[in-house]
Amino acid sequence: MATQAHSLSYAGCNFLRQRLVLSTLSGRPVKIRKIRSRDDNPGLRDFEASFIRLLDKITNGSRIEINQTGTTLYYQPGLLCGGSVEHDCSVLRGIGYYLESLLCLAPFMKHPLKIVLRGVTNDQVDPSVDVLKATALPLLKQFGIDDESFELKIVRRGMPPGGGGEVIFSCPVRKVLKPIQLTDPGKIKRIRGMAYSVRVSPQMANRIVDSARSILNKFIPDIYIYTDHMKGVNSGKSPGFGLSLVAETTSGTFLSAELASNPQGQGAAVLPEDLGRNCARLLLEEIYRGGCVDSTNQSLALLLMTLGQQDVSKVLLGPLSPYTIEFLRHLKSFFQIMFKIETKPCGEELKGGDKVLMTCVGIGFSNLSKTLK
Amino acid sequence: MEAKDQKKHRKKNSGPKAEKKKKRHLQALQLGDEEDARKRNPKAFAVQSAVRMARSFHRTQDLKTKKHHIPVVDRTPLEPPPIVVVVMGPPKVGKSTLIQCLIRNFTRQKLTEIRGPVTIVSGKKRRLTIIECGCDINMMIDLAKVADLGAKLFYLSGMVHGEYQNQEIHNLGRFITVMKFRPLTWQTSHPYILADRMEDLTNPEDIRTNIKCDRKVSLYGYLRGAHLKNKSQIHMPGVGDFTVSDVSFLPDPCALPEQQKKRCLNEKEKLVYAPLSGVGGVLYDKDAVYVDLGGSHGFQALDEVGSTHELVQSLISTHSTIDAKMASSRVMLFSDSKALGSEDIDNQGLLMLKEEKQMDLKTGRMRRKAIFGDEDGSGDSDDEDDDEMSEDDGLEYGSSDEEAEEEENAEVTDEYMIAKGIKRRKLEELEEDSEVDLPAFADSDDDLEKSSAEEGEVEEADESSEEEDCSSGERGISGSKAVGEGSKAELSPSNHQSDPVNLEKSLPMKKAALTTSDSGHCTAEEVFASEDDSEESSSLSIEEENSENQEALRKKLLKPSQVGSGQKLGPRNFIDETSDIEDLLKEEEDYKEEKNDSTETSGALKWKEDLSRKAAEAFLRQQQAAPNLRKLIYGTVTEDNEEDDDTQEELGGLFRVNQPDRACKHKADSLDCSRFLVEAPHDWDLEEVMNSIRDCFVTGKWEDDKDAAKVLAEDEELYGDFEDLETGDVHKGKSGPITQNEDVEKEVKEEIDPNEEESAKKKHLDKKRKLKEMFDAEYDEGESTYFDDLKGEMQKQAQLNRAEFEDQDDEARVQYEGFRPGMYVRVEIENVPCEFVQNFDPHYPIILGGLGNSEGNVGYVQMRLKKHRWYKKILKSRDPIIFSVGWRRFQTIPLYYIEDHNGRQRLLKYTPQHMHCGATFWGPITPQGTGFLAIQSVSGIMPDFRIAATGVVLDLDKSIKIVKKLKLTGFPYKIFKNTSFIKGMFNSALEVAKFEGAMIRTVSGIRGQIKKALRAPEGAFRASFEDKLLMSDIVFMRTWYPVSIPAFYNPVTSLLKPVGEKDTWSGMRTTGQLRLAHGIRLKANKDSLYKPILRQKKHFNSLHIPKALQKALPFKNKPKTQAKAGKVPKDRRRPAVVREPHERKILALLDALSTVHSQKMKKAKEQRHLHNKEHFRAKQKEEEEKLKRQKDLRKKLFRIQGQKERRNQKSSLKGAEGQLQ
Repeated sequence: MATQAHSLSYAGCNFLRQRLVLSTLSGRPVKIRKIRSRDDNPGLRDFEASFIRLLDKITNGSRIEINQTGTTLYYQPGLLCGGSVEHDCSVLRGIGYYLESLLCLAPFMKHPLKIVLRGVTNDQVDPSVDVLKATALPLLKQFGIDDESFELKIVRRGMPPGGGGEVIFSCPVRKVLKPIQLTDPGKIKRIRGMAYSVRVSPQMANRIVDSARSILNKFIPDIYIYTDHMKGVNSGKSPGFGLSLVAETTSGTFLSAELASNPQGQGAAVLPEDLGRNCARLLLEEIYRGGCVDSTNQSLALLLMTLGQQDVSKVLLGPLSPYTIEFLRHLKSFFQIMFKIETKPCGEELKGGDKVLMTCVGIGFSNLSKTLK
Repeated sequence: MEAKDQKKHRKKNSGPKAEKKKKRHLQALQLGDEEDARKRNPKAFAVQSAVRMARSFHRTQDLKTKKHHIPVVDRTPLEPPPIVVVVMGPPKVGKSTLIQCLIRNFTRQKLTEIRGPVTIVSGKKRRLTIIECGCDINMMIDLAKVADLGAKLFYLSGMVHGEYQNQEIHNLGRFITVMKFRPLTWQTSHPYILADRMEDLTNPEDIRTNIKCDRKVSLYGYLRGAHLKNKSQIHMPGVGDFTVSDVSFLPDPCALPEQQKKRCLNEKEKLVYAPLSGVGGVLYDKDAVYVDLGGSHGFQALDEVGSTHELVQSLISTHSTIDAKMASSRVMLFSDSKALGSEDIDNQGLLMLKEEKQMDLKTGRMRRKAIFGDEDGSGDSDDEDDDEMSEDDGLEYGSSDEEAEEEENAEVTDEYMIAKGIKRRKLEELEEDSEVDLPAFADSDDDLEKSSAEEGEVEEADESSEEEDCSSGERGISGSKAVGEGSKAELSPSNHQSDPVNLEKSLPMKKAALTTSDSGHCTAEEVFASEDDSEESSSLSIEEENSENQEALRKKLLKPSQVGSGQKLGPRNFIDETSDIEDLLKEEEDYKEEKNDSTETSGALKWKEDLSRKAAEAFLRQQQAAPNLRKLIYGTVTEDNEEDDDTQEELGGLFRVNQPDRACKHKADSLDCSRFLVEAPHDWDLEEVMNSIRDCFVTGKWEDDKDAAKVLAEDEELYGDFEDLETGDVHKGKSGPITQNEDVEKEVKEEIDPNEEESAKKKHLDKKRKLKEMFDAEYDEGESTYFDDLKGEMQKQAQLNRAEFEDQDDEARVQYEGFRPGMYVRVEIENVPCEFVQNFDPHYPIILGGLGNSEGNVGYVQMRLKKHRWYKKILKSRDPIIFSVGWRRFQTIPLYYIEDHNGRQRLLKYTPQHMHCGATFWGPITPQGTGFLAIQSVSGIMPDFRIAATGVVLDLDKSIKIVKKLKLTGFPYKIFKNTSFIKGMFNSALEVAKFEGAMIRTVSGIRGQIKKALRAPEGAFRASFEDKLLMSDIVFMRTWYPVSIPAFYNPVTSLLKPVGEKDTWSGMRTTGQLRLAHGIRLKANKDSLYKPILRQKKHFNSLHIPKALQKALPFKNKPKTQAKAGKVPKDRRRPAVVREPHERKILALLDALSTVHSQKMKKAKEQRHLHNKEHFRAKQKEEEEKLKRQKDLRKKLFRIQGQKERRNQKSSLKGAEGQLQ
């Protein structure tokens, strides 16, 4: 009998996605206990359950066991299957919550993934679909995941709390990934953005654009912020507006920032001017942090480096986010991989904060699901 | 006779030889070959058809491209592992003799017995591991997986004195040495070890209580293939799957010679290493010390067999429990002079022994070889209370002389190795005690990174730490003492963990940093807790760091000076050279990066101020600005594992759960979000804040090498001046900043001539380089193809792979990349079945094959399979068969299938004879593209060819889609027009409902459809057909039924069988074998039996056409019934004539006469006929003659007539003339 790879055990609901994703990729079962065990409302939440259902949909042969109270989860991963899938995401979290994990898994499916996700496209918590489209997709392209079928399309926008948005994500499959050497972030040559508004006055978007430009124009003249006002069925179920900004550098790095208005009925109303200005400042913060990968996608880049061939990959990052730090620990326990971490202090040149150079040797991962013809 | 036997020589008319001859002949005739022909007669070779030209060009290009292989990154290590050479053949053909001869050829040593792999150094850059393959298919399969040189046949002519001929062996040896191999994908993508040593590490007490308990073993061998990570999954063919509990690397027992200058190897460098055969160099590892008494015949490893050799007698080995052994395995020393005494403790008495020292000046590494054979090793050992310390000391017998105890001349390199061993061991203890291995690892690594820098310069370090940091040293020593006592009192984990810290204080010469490695970060905390003097210890650690800084600094300073004299250099040296220090600070920072900053205090750095204020500041800034991320990530915070917490609490309340852990717990249930929120936003309205990111934009300032303006200026400078040849004007380029500087300098100082010259030279060189680059760009890189680009990319990647971790210490390196191939490693494995140890047979290869991610899992494996064409039978679905896939050998139950054109996978009962088919089994997941072979049985020896099938893995899944055909039949019980009621196909209305709308068909070919279930009888349904059925029709439906595969996976555990029976493994039997064994005959279906065919005579009725139809038919189609002739009435019938004998006679005579007459007439007729013919011929002749005559006559007549006429004409003409005249 082949010994089942001994399972890893964790406590708490935090980093649930990481654990399940890494478990799926490494084939090691994972047991998560004490999920909100002290909470008044213990156990898995709706959005987590929805995530687990999504995993079940895209895999074949997974075993998922959840105890009665939902405080313990045992996940024995199957093989990634893919194909055409539809999924209704929970409106408690944005589609970004689900999409981030899908970005990690999609290149390693048996059949190319084509998934329709319904739910909240833009919210204040998760990276929005716009940002992922603008930053994560070019990042994946660096690893050799590129095809005409590789796209993320926003069909409908949905804002919390009602949701009603819809995106289509399709991704080709790869057997192996290319190693990357991203050590030069380059210089920002243009800033693009998307100011969206649904079920509010279309003028909101224009007001956001003006205020954001007022700040960014001090740095670079090449700024263009698109306005996207969706109407009718495409506008989801709740009103809202927001802005996402992306700075592109000469070497093809994308840094992003975004802000969305408060959901209907929660918190005070936000002035679009304030939102635009704050979002522009957030982008400047992101630029200050710098690196070749923006702070949201750090873990994605590190994962794909890990899953590369047995070659050295390097990437220059800004300060590591807590999420990434935990992700690195998880990478170590799932893949026995350690990154060489070198801090690159900012010198005399005015290029923002300290950077971190992450280096690793890929584990020689190959897509076990893909069929050989 | 002989002459008759000889064949006449026949000239070759075709083939290469004939062609060659022809060519020679042609050349002799000055006719030359095709090329010349082209020259001679260019018109004949002109383009005849553009299309054909294009085609032929296309074809040649195709052929060219076909030769290309997809380039892969070259991942071969710089120092590759020995090449595995497998010698195989039937028994008693002289395999062992061949190996012996080869070894003798390479090493001039003779091995009496060959057991297991033998590693030898065969050349300057090549080592060989030779292994013999016995006559067991298991062994053959396993060895084929690790062999680099396997499938070659050699012819050796006979033996002389029981040995092969020297010359032939020499040739074979040369062949092996220069052989090039094709890397196999499986081998390059998986780490593997061909173990050449095995030790049982199980606690003897456990074995005593339960002899069948699972064992813990350590296996040794060269790592091959890919990088091996600690705690990864491995498979041992013949044993099973395991998780590596620990890996460590050891000094190479059969190292390649260091210097490469010589043409051939020294005798000393011709090493041989074969622990299983009892041969090897001196070997130190944590379990024991092994000594090879080279020169003569092979020996058993010393700890295994009690030797009576005098040298060996002095070797002390402990026969105690493994814990005790580990704790006390320290002093196994060879000396016949001094006894081990406690006096030696204080000054760290070192055991000396003669040795050969080789020093590599470049790297500063010492390479020493202990010589035990004829020179007496002299030395002594010390026996200290502290186990680790004593071990450390004990193992230091390597240093060259007794004075080494004066802390100066420690041979760092070797200690370094040994210390590593200790470290590992401690780590292990640590693991055992607290299971907190993670932080310890990380930490050790940090320090080891530093240590790499300090390598070779530790003597100064010691001194400095004595001279400058005497206070710290004292503290350290006191600390160590304290702990020493502690350890005496009880062997608590805290002691273990604190030891290293103390050790490095008390033994400053001993690579403090190295040993710190164990003071894992959590251990450090533990130390604080136990000593109750956190301040002191923290300052201690800081000072330690400082001293290390200094070491690093001084290392740089002392680089040019001799290593030996370095000890005399005091602090003054570097105080004087502060400027140098400043420069060096940069480098120092690199080392500092990994430093622990948890206990950072500015006060501790004050001593540095006298060095250089700037240095201190830089250091401080560095410490503050760059928090040690590595430690933060991998070090401090362990997994927020409940178990971890528990164990920590269990540690006797000595330790507090550390702070980050608590934080971790706190955030365990917090929001799972990848966004990195800004905690302290900058005020982006401020000018200086805005300026901080100015250069991130294209509008900002660029680096020197990229700034357009600068680059332009440079170019101007280089290419600016030129001379217009036409006008003769000389254009001078603007003098660049460098030249301007030069001018200024010239004015100010005339003395700095060399400087100026240098810069001019540099400028000139720059110019040249630029020109060359331009030239290269124009001519060389113009025609780079996609293939070239790809190759270049791979090359670059390979270089990066090599360069990235090159400068790092091995101990640190293995953390990042894993253990790299070529290393000699020791692998510890737990929970090994006891039979593995009990039935250990060194002749059988032990292979540790690394498994990739999820290769330890099971699922359905689909493959393309073909029965081997030499195998006599075809294979049957669901018969158990043994597969060898990846590293594994296992028995499983496959199903064979074939894929239909529509992608349906249809089950086959048997494999096709000569075709590929699909096969699916339930078993371990193996990457796609892996080849495999299948055999029916691995036991015993078989006369037949055994390999049943071969193929390749195609797909892996957790479910299968194989189907088999199922025909459901039913019978009509009521027939309307095109509708019928069918029964007997289903059993219930529910079943019918599932198949509504399905296609059905009768045997006669009438198609139809299931419509709806009927109420009664149960399972009947209404169906419509394209025609009316008959009651005799059978209706059937074709369906596809998914089959399931029995989840049977049974690894072939041949290595667990008793010695001598290892080739008798037998697994599940096939049904055929079971039937044969039990004598159960297959019950044949009676209907399937062959019987003589009895055919009934067919009887046909006559054709009957109804009268009405007959009437309607046209006449020609009407049946023609001829009216029969009526009977002749009696009265019309004539009576028969009856003749009298007399009458009869008359009649006979008349008959005879008429016959004669007729004969006569006939003859006469014939004669007349002849006569007529004659007459006719004569007549014809006459006629001809007559005609001829007439013809002649006529001719004559005409001639006369003609003449007459002519005459007449003439006369008339004359007359006319006359008239005219």
